[in-house]
Amino acid sequence: MRTVAVILAVLTGLIVLLGYFFPVLSGVQTVVLSWTIILAGTATVVGVFSLILVHFNKVTRREKGSVYSVLLLMALFVTFIFGITLGPDDPNMQLLVNAIIVPVESTLMALLAVTLLYAGVRLLRRRTDLMSVIFLLTAAFMLFASATLPFGEISLLNNWIRPWVQQVLALGGARGILIGVALGTLTTGLRILFGADRPYGGK
Amino acid sequence: MSPDLIVGALAFLFTLMIFSYLIGDNPLFRVAVYVFVGVSAGYVAAVAFRQVLLPNLLYPLVNGTTTQRALLATPLLLSGLLLMKAWAPLSRLGTPSMAVLVGVSAAVAIGGAVTGTLLPQIGVTINMFDLRTSTSPFTALFNGAFILAGVVTTLVYFHFGARTTADGSVRRFGLIEFIAFIGSIFLAFTLGVLFAGVYSAALTALIERLYFFGTFFGLG
Repeated sequence: MRTVAVILAVLTGLIVLLGYFFPVLSGVQTVVLSWTIILAGTATVVGVFSLILVHFNKVTRREKGSVYSVLLLMALFVTFIFGITLGPDDPNMQLLVNAIIVPVESTLMALLAVTLLYAGVRLLRRRTDLMSVIFLLTAAFMLFASATLPFGEISLLNNWIRPWVQQVLALGGARGILIGVALGTLTTGLRILFGADRPYGGK
Repeated sequence: MSPDLIVGALAFLFTLMIFSYLIGDNPLFRVAVYVFVGVSAGYVAAVAFRQVLLPNLLYPLVNGTTTQRALLATPLLLSGLLLMKAWAPLSRLGTPSMAVLVGVSAAVAIGGAVTGTLLPQIGVTINMFDLRTSTSPFTALFNGAFILAGVVTTLVYFHFGARTTADGSVRRFGLIEFIAFIGSIFLAFTLGVLFAGVYSAALTALIERLYFFGTFFGLG
């Protein structure tokens, strides 16, 4: 089973990768990609089924907080049944989205305003080194410089210093992070395609 | 009661329950979060079934041509094996399907990283020094040098190769350590700007929620 898994991972991965460089393989690449889309859909269903199993076990064992699990299962089943019968684009399904998903996501984002402020203060208390000070001063400066001030905008801040910090100093670091992430992705991907890493369980 | 009123009342209730976290973790917050996870998971499963599995697998299997059906035999088999992952005693059978998923994802990620990030980012860093397109060559050169320094030093910051010194401690090479220190300053600027951006977005969401409260009670 392990050998089959490694062969499948390397073979399908190479077909898709080579399809980018050799147009003759693009037809096969498209077929393999369409299979993977189906597998990704199935994996999503498996993930949700796993969530149901975890919470169902919590309810049957009457573990602490199982009342919340009952609510989760009820919400999940009701939404899934309505989603299957009506379709996710149905206006009635959108009502459900607007009633629960959008307000909860938006409020969690709003809570972030408080927790981020708290985290900033904690950082200054716990770790007062040069990196933390520059980080917090930059954040405070950016917020101040982009805010609408009661006495009008300060030209030096808005037109010179803020753009320079944002588009030169921060851009250099951001580009470094992006290139670093891309190099990391490239290395990890190649290790999988060479069979050195087998995160799918083929040890 | 009109559907809009029910939606508004539910949205108000859930907003209030989530905001209750400001006084600490409490049952109201947990109820809201568990219901949110349930609804989101149900919605995602419905989307996966209706918009991925039904049109790409099940419908062509029933109504498609013989060629279409033959082509779908492989994903059908792999999907069946993947479903075994949900049941512990048979979960090993799902490994080949996971292997295909991981292998193709790795290939797509490599393609995306090279063509979508590496080449464009390196290209745009080099183009900063192309003085033909610049109206102010000195400024372009100055800014380009700063950005290049930021890119290189940030990348060096994430270089963790080290060796054991005479006193037994593990340290990076002195020059690398110095360049990494400069990289950490660039990173502090970058993360500060990103933090300010996220904080602005969070503040906007907070204002929007407070405005929603106002409009719900007819104050807006």
